[in-house]
Amino acid sequence: MAGGSVFECKEYLFKVLVIGELGVGKTSIIKRYVHQLFSQHYRATIGVDFALKVINWDSKTLVRLQLWDIAGQERFGNMTRVYYKEAVGAFVVFDVTRGSTFEAVSKWKHDLDSKVKLANGNPIPSVLLANKCDQKKDSSNNTALMDNFCKETGFLGWFETSAKDNINVDEAARFLVESILANDKGLPYEESNGERIKLDQETVAAESKSGCC
Amino acid sequence: MAAEELPSEFDVVILGTGLAESVVAAAFSRVGQRVLHLDRRSYYAANWASFTFNSLLTWIQQHHEEPQPEELHDWSSLLEEGEELIYLSNTDSTSVRNLQVFCFTSEEGEEAEAQSPDAPNTTEEVSAGDAVKETSETESADSKYEETNQKPEEEEEEEQASQTEGEEPEADQPTPTAAQSQSEPTKKKISYAQLVKEGRRFNIDLVSKLLYSRGSLVDLLIKSNVSRYAEFKNVTRILTYRHGQVEQVPCSRADVFASRQLSVVEKRKLMRYLTSCVEETEEQRAYNGRPYLEFLCDQQLGNNLQHFLLHSIAMVTEDTPTEEGLASTRHFLRCLGRYGNTPFLFPVYGLGEIPQCFCRMCAVFGGIYCLRHSVTCLLVEKETNRCKAVIDSRGQRISCSHFVVEDGFVGADRKRLATPTRFLSRAVLITDGSILPSNSDQQVSMITVPPVAAGCPTVKMVELCPSTMTCMPGTHLVHLTCQSVGSAFEDLSPVVTRMFRTPQSHDQEKNPSVLWCLYFNMADGSEVKGHDLPSNVFVTFGPDGALSHEHAVSQAELIFKKILPEEDFCPPAPNPEDIIYDGENTSTGGEEEQSLQTEE
Ligand SMILES: Cc1cc2nc3c(=O)[nH]c(=O)nc-3n(C[C@H](O)[C@H](O)[C@H](O)COP(=O)(O)OP(=O)(O)OC[C@H]3O[C@@H](n4cnc5c(N)ncnc54)[C@H](O)[C@@H]3O)c2cc1C
Ligand SMILES: Nc1nc2c(ncn2[C@@H]2O[C@H](COP(=O)(O)OP(=O)(O)OP(=O)(O)O)[C@@H](O)[C@H]2O)c(=O)[nH]1
Ligand SMILES: [Mg+2]
Repeated sequence: MAGGSVFECKEYLFKVLVIGELGVGKTSIIKRYVHQLFSQHYRATIGVDFALKVINWDSKTLVRLQLWDIAGQERFGNMTRVYYKEAVGAFVVFDVTRGSTFEAVSKWKHDLDSKVKLANGNPIPSVLLANKCDQKKDSSNNTALMDNFCKETGFLGWFETSAKDNINVDEAARFLVESILANDKGLPYEESNGERIKLDQETVAAESKSGCC
Repeated sequence: MAAEELPSEFDVVILGTGLAESVVAAAFSRVGQRVLHLDRRSYYAANWASFTFNSLLTWIQQHHEEPQPEELHDWSSLLEEGEELIYLSNTDSTSVRNLQVFCFTSEEGEEAEAQSPDAPNTTEEVSAGDAVKETSETESADSKYEETNQKPEEEEEEEQASQTEGEEPEADQPTPTAAQSQSEPTKKKISYAQLVKEGRRFNIDLVSKLLYSRGSLVDLLIKSNVSRYAEFKNVTRILTYRHGQVEQVPCSRADVFASRQLSVVEKRKLMRYLTSCVEETEEQRAYNGRPYLEFLCDQQLGNNLQHFLLHSIAMVTEDTPTEEGLASTRHFLRCLGRYGNTPFLFPVYGLGEIPQCFCRMCAVFGGIYCLRHSVTCLLVEKETNRCKAVIDSRGQRISCSHFVVEDGFVGADRKRLATPTRFLSRAVLITDGSILPSNSDQQVSMITVPPVAAGCPTVKMVELCPSTMTCMPGTHLVHLTCQSVGSAFEDLSPVVTRMFRTPQSHDQEKNPSVLWCLYFNMADGSEVKGHDLPSNVFVTFGPDGALSHEHAVSQAELIFKKILPEEDFCPPAPNPEDIIYDGENTSTGGEEEQSLQTEE
């Protein structure tokens, strides 16, 4: 996980899931957060596993955030364990302009909690994102309702976000990472489990690159 | 998450999520084919699945229930001109049989753990006599299960009495860690309630295999980048069972030198042999067709080395021909040292991860997944004998150019059955310690057990420690596999009784205790049978008895090459960090679509 640095800098790698109904803006939020991009053009997400955001948290902490998007399969609610495996946080996203996507939130949350837990058995920290707030028609204030919903459903909190206008995306991420870090401190160091092996493509790429024009 | 209508057209529909089907799915999706991947079961990986303790109990329960034959729906109304229907089998009752469960640990804390739904699955201290008598006929296995169902209730009172002197807060106490349980002289036996409570820490595989570090599965994982979804542990040692003792097999140079069982002469002989057999020689060729054992004998290596070389390094039987024995010895040696001191790797969280890794890759490239969703029949164009479409379990007609189906879904009427199905015998044990304690309590061991008596099968055993994330701290998970001769219980319980402590074993004080165990038989997938099916329908077979995964990988590649001979099989998926978003570079500011080009 950590590649030591000259200073006493701690490096973390966190896997964070981004889930929610079709078209609520999961990919848009990730693209906004990681690549500072937004596109009106809707395209089903294909070929992207996760995006990596490197955060210089403070002078002593570097956080690599792996944001795992969900792919076409999940529309039918059958994600593999591989997706959930060792996630330490999650965003559940809904679209404020479509009520049905909010109704599905508790299902997603329930599914999440049944499939992944922290090493100590607790649910992983999750944050609710009310996306596309730039399109919200009524300016009604349902803060109390939402706060209550989060409490009941087990979300740490919620944010009104817009991937389009870049509202609250960074804030929500910061909020989630904070609580992941807090969790991490509370947990025993799991290095007793010893080395794990990743199979990597052996570096033969060097030769094949040289011929390129 | 909602149950939406599926698209009505795909390039490939795949039924079954075992390893071969999942590799096929990833391969097609990766080259842009539209894939629909279904499984009737509620879990991924079919007979390759791994379960938490609690979901394993559910699986056992399901296999004891009479399969309910679904009503055959008449779909002929969906037929078009010149088409006919082929119904698929809707019960998969034949691939797993003879399940037997024994619990040798106390049920204490059951009251507190009222939610434990599956307690009846266990048999409290079945006496050896009973078990053997009742299972002498395979058919009686199921009825025996029914009987033992009643037992825990009857014994409850007795149980409680024996417990009251004990420590009541037991159930709430944290599980002893491995370290604790090792250092305590009188360690507290882990109760059944604890196994249930910590059930999620188990990932119990239905199959028991290992990855050869230079085998075709490792190559495929690396080539396709599917490896990014998995992590592995080294198998840290090879053991064998001889003269009633478990011994470590020295296989690397370092092991040979460090070995205390071998004499200096033996060390030299072994090193010379291992070095010399890498190259094929005239002398070896002279033994072609004759048993490897004979070749080994003539090398005058002595009994020790002969045993190690035959059973643990070549892992063959006494009558395996020399060329085969040498080939597997070479494979073993080639695989040494790539990742560790033995040739083998084991996936963290269990083998059931591997098919799911390929499913994830398929899904990332647009494959659609539905569990609890099946295909009831195929629509075949009579004239061309091609499958044009399938009808799913919801009655939707889905067109496809190719259909791939796991053998278990193919009805008996379509099989050109010549011989009765062969089976594998499997046992899964949860034990309270390692079979060969050492200074590390996190060993992963491959153990070869030669036949314990004439006519008995050779048994392959894998012992997993908690750091593989397949069992709770303080326990080990042991998988036994052999070609079946009788039922799994008949084939494997003699080995279990000898090597572990159970109520049936005598004078085995130092052996680890079995807390809980499961025996079952599973159809042997190496039996490739012929089928009468349309030309664009491809059948895959389940797990075979070999230690490696070659069989599944080669089936998948073969199917892919038949359908798309020109395409690359599982080319590397782009690294997420290399994906370029067009929007960044396009000055026109038009479409900001992401594309999947990687820097080249
Ligand atoms: C991670 C995971 C993903 C799954 N995905 C699917 C799916 O996509 N489709 C489907 O049909 N079924 C899936 N299942 C199977 C289904 O959810 C099981 O039936 C259910 O988990 C069993 O519930 P339980 O109450 O027995 O145990 P639970 O306590 O709910 O199981 C928890 C499981 O999570 C594992 N676990 C806990 N924390 C972590 C962690 N941080 N990282 C990795 N694993 C952890 C445990 O080892 C255990 O296997 C999944 C199971 C798991 C464990
Ligand atoms: N107005 C507005 N539109 C948004 C916002 N976020 C996303 N969209 C649009 O909503 C559509 C869907 O966004 P995606 O990010 O592709 O949604 P998704 O959840 O990834 O969709 P799937 O991958 O298909 O499940 C796109 O057309 C986006 O442009 C937002 O904050 N405001
Ligand atoms: Mg998306």
